[in-house]
Amino acid sequence: MKNLKRYFRLYKVLIAQFIKVVLQSKVDFLMGLFGFFFTQVTGIAFLYLIFEQIPSLQGWTLDQLIFIYGFAQLPRGIDHLLTDNIWKVAWWKVVTGEFDQYMLRPMNVFFQVIAEKLQPDALGELLVGIILVIISIPKGILIIDGVHIALFFVSILAGALIYTSIKLFFATMSFWVKRSGPFLQVAYEMADFAKYPIEIYAKPIQFILTYVIPFGFVAYFSASYFLVEKSAFSTIGMECIIAVILWFIAYGYFNYGISKYESAGN
Amino acid sequence: MFVFCLIKKGDSMIQVKNITKEFVSAKKYPGLKGAIKGLFSREKVRKTAVDDISFDIAEGEIVGYIGSNGAGKSTTIKMMTGILRPTKGQCIVNGIDPSKNRLDNAQNIGVVFGQRTQLWWDLPLSESFTILKEIYNVSDEEYEERMNFLNEVLGLPDFFDQSVRTLSLGQRMRADLGAALLHNPKVLYLDEPTIGLDLVVKDKIRQAIKDINQKYKTTVILTTHDIGDIEELCNRIIIIDEGRKIYDGGLQELKDTYGKTRKVTMELRQVKEAEKINWTEKLGTTEDKYQVTTDEEKNQLTITFEKNEIQISDIIATIMEVTEVKDIQIQETELAEIVKEIYNHQFQSEEIAE
Amino acid sequence: MKKFFKTYLPFTGNEIKRNLAYKGAFYLFVFCSLFGSFISYYLWKAIYGSTDGGAIGGLTQNQMVIYVFMTYVTSSIVKVSISEEVSEDVVKGTVAMNLIKPIDYRFSLIFKGIGSSVYRFLMPGIFVWIGVELYSCLVLHEPFTGIVNLVLYLCSAMFSFFIYVLFDFCFGMIAFFTTYIFGLQMVKSAVLSFLTGELIPLSFFPAVFQKVFDFLPFSSMVYTPVMIYLGKYSGSELMFVLARQVIWIVILYALGSLIWKKVTKRLVVLGG
Repeated sequence: MKNLKRYFRLYKVLIAQFIKVVLQSKVDFLMGLFGFFFTQVTGIAFLYLIFEQIPSLQGWTLDQLIFIYGFAQLPRGIDHLLTDNIWKVAWWKVVTGEFDQYMLRPMNVFFQVIAEKLQPDALGELLVGIILVIISIPKGILIIDGVHIALFFVSILAGALIYTSIKLFFATMSFWVKRSGPFLQVAYEMADFAKYPIEIYAKPIQFILTYVIPFGFVAYFSASYFLVEKSAFSTIGMECIIAVILWFIAYGYFNYGISKYESAGN
Repeated sequence: MFVFCLIKKGDSMIQVKNITKEFVSAKKYPGLKGAIKGLFSREKVRKTAVDDISFDIAEGEIVGYIGSNGAGKSTTIKMMTGILRPTKGQCIVNGIDPSKNRLDNAQNIGVVFGQRTQLWWDLPLSESFTILKEIYNVSDEEYEERMNFLNEVLGLPDFFDQSVRTLSLGQRMRADLGAALLHNPKVLYLDEPTIGLDLVVKDKIRQAIKDINQKYKTTVILTTHDIGDIEELCNRIIIIDEGRKIYDGGLQELKDTYGKTRKVTMELRQVKEAEKINWTEKLGTTEDKYQVTTDEEKNQLTITFEKNEIQISDIIATIMEVTEVKDIQIQETELAEIVKEIYNHQFQSEEIAE
Repeated sequence: MKKFFKTYLPFTGNEIKRNLAYKGAFYLFVFCSLFGSFISYYLWKAIYGSTDGGAIGGLTQNQMVIYVFMTYVTSSIVKVSISEEVSEDVVKGTVAMNLIKPIDYRFSLIFKGIGSSVYRFLMPGIFVWIGVELYSCLVLHEPFTGIVNLVLYLCSAMFSFFIYVLFDFCFGMIAFFTTYIFGLQMVKSAVLSFLTGELIPLSFFPAVFQKVFDFLPFSSMVYTPVMIYLGKYSGSELMFVLARQVIWIVILYALGSLIWKKVTKRLVVLGG
């Protein structure tokens, strides 16, 4: 408990210094935000173009798909905001030996990785997500009651943890391959496709998005809980279970990877 | 196969026991053809960077850890600091095995890697110290006391409010040294602490290291290519080569053992006359104990000889018999040369081993 | 001319070598990047399943399958990004160094890009292409793509490559005016995946938009060669789209030279 308090305090100190640096360059900040915002806008435009041609996609209406799309941005944005520095581990911290720094300080290594940086660009994604969810409310497509609202927030947090775990897992590979950026990139991009109803894909792909790189739970399965009558356990419950299991696998693998760390210069 | 020895906590600050580190990497082939071949090859290359090294370092010692590039210096330091895990063997720093208990070890050590800074690049230096104070859990009183001392020996106030990116190399090194010492570490690891610095700054850094060592009994391990660092600071040096320890002992001892020769250069009126001298007979010694070279253009004669066999006065007396000496210069073998010769494998390893 | 190639071809060779050096990441990367196309294939399959089975956006379901995978092949050989390197050189200040060397900075980047492109054409481009042909012939029972279409496609894809790198060079020059090009890279890749037809065939856009696209270089980057491959153009229309590509190469080349001149002048004044 005392430990937790210390880390909380440290997090504040470290993030505060990061924010000071970011504030030195406001234009950069706005451009990054705009970049991510714009990327999401093209995704919505894609949906509109498709629905010019078809009335519904396997039973889903445009309004429902827009909610799924927007909902998917929320866990993604939260993870992106808080743990973006994991990318640096995958791309160059390990291969250049910059990772040494984490090993020399009396703090948990994973904590140091994420406390080094916030990604303000993620606010672009969060903004799109929040807007799309809010405009979905008056459309009458959502089931709104106390339980659903509570689970809405639970689901977002669990989803973010799934994102973080998957990123951490692929970044950890760099302890062996030195630069695991490409792997992480590919895995992360997979999330884009889980923005659509998973039933449209062939069985093996459904399997992958459900069990291997389970982005299906981040967006589609849990979003559908708010759209149609479904058991909370098979959607949000499973999401939480998967998030926890995935986290332990990724974190364990990360710690194992650290023990294999070779630093640079050899 | 190999035996782990139980290491007791005693007077030693650092105990390194049969430590070995191997790196495994994929084999690379030269050229475009080779690159394609590499794509389909699973051949591995095993490289032993550190090979069965052991030593003990007592509290308060300043030890120079030297060797040529790629000899395994950094790898050893990285194992002692907890960055790398040894393939075999063990090291204990202040009673803690860094590979098992990284967090506690990190609290005990300070590290400065010459080319890399641990400071926050975009922020004023003062901010870095504030953050480090939190990270290492330094209390306000301790912080005050340490900062007073560090300010004094390192002159930090001159640039305490500047952003780190604007510091000169020398300032940054002083700042980094201060940052590594803020939490009063038991052991300070310095990797090339004076690299790229001018002589004045070098002196400052060396003096600071000495002061810290004296005041806090901080154990210091430093790797360096700068012989000056060693002569100024170290009472003991460990030399490694190709991953093996080849010398471990005092500085004077090394000089006495390997700096056996002395060189005298004389400018003469008639160097031709001196060439006729039969040195073996005149000095009453054997031919392998000395070496004579002459330079007729400059009228110079140089004799390299073993100092405990031949007296310099005898040499001068012999010369004076045939010609006049205009100038004379006597040189001891320098540490730099000894070390260079050791790297070049001039000595047999058995000869050097303790 | 001979001297020109002798100067710049080593850039191409080195880039191929550099690419080959990444071995571990390689197999999986190829596999996974294709995986994305497979998912997109299923998405389209579902979309066609929601219609009465006819063509949408001017493409039948079978043509859409070929479209998805040939878009993958095309953009992998065309979209060789050089702007990252430009902006890195700008930030590090190595651009000034390049002014001293007796080589043209842009050409050296383009020839490097050719190396990457050739490499991606061999791996995985050609394998995916063979896969597409076999699939369309054996499963979809469509005829093999004719040799004429194929040659025209390769020619057009080559034009596309030059349009893309010349555009990307201009884009990279933005780094001279803002240090934060990453946000803009995001916008660029989003805009490009949309306007080049990578995400969705341009024929899905409303007519007004398509008119606008005719005056932008983006459709010439991916959409044009793929539609040629599908045999969607013939006669004068074919000549027109190819000519348009050539015109874009000329325009972007001139634009790049102009910006470069401006920038180097500034560089000399400011001292890099």
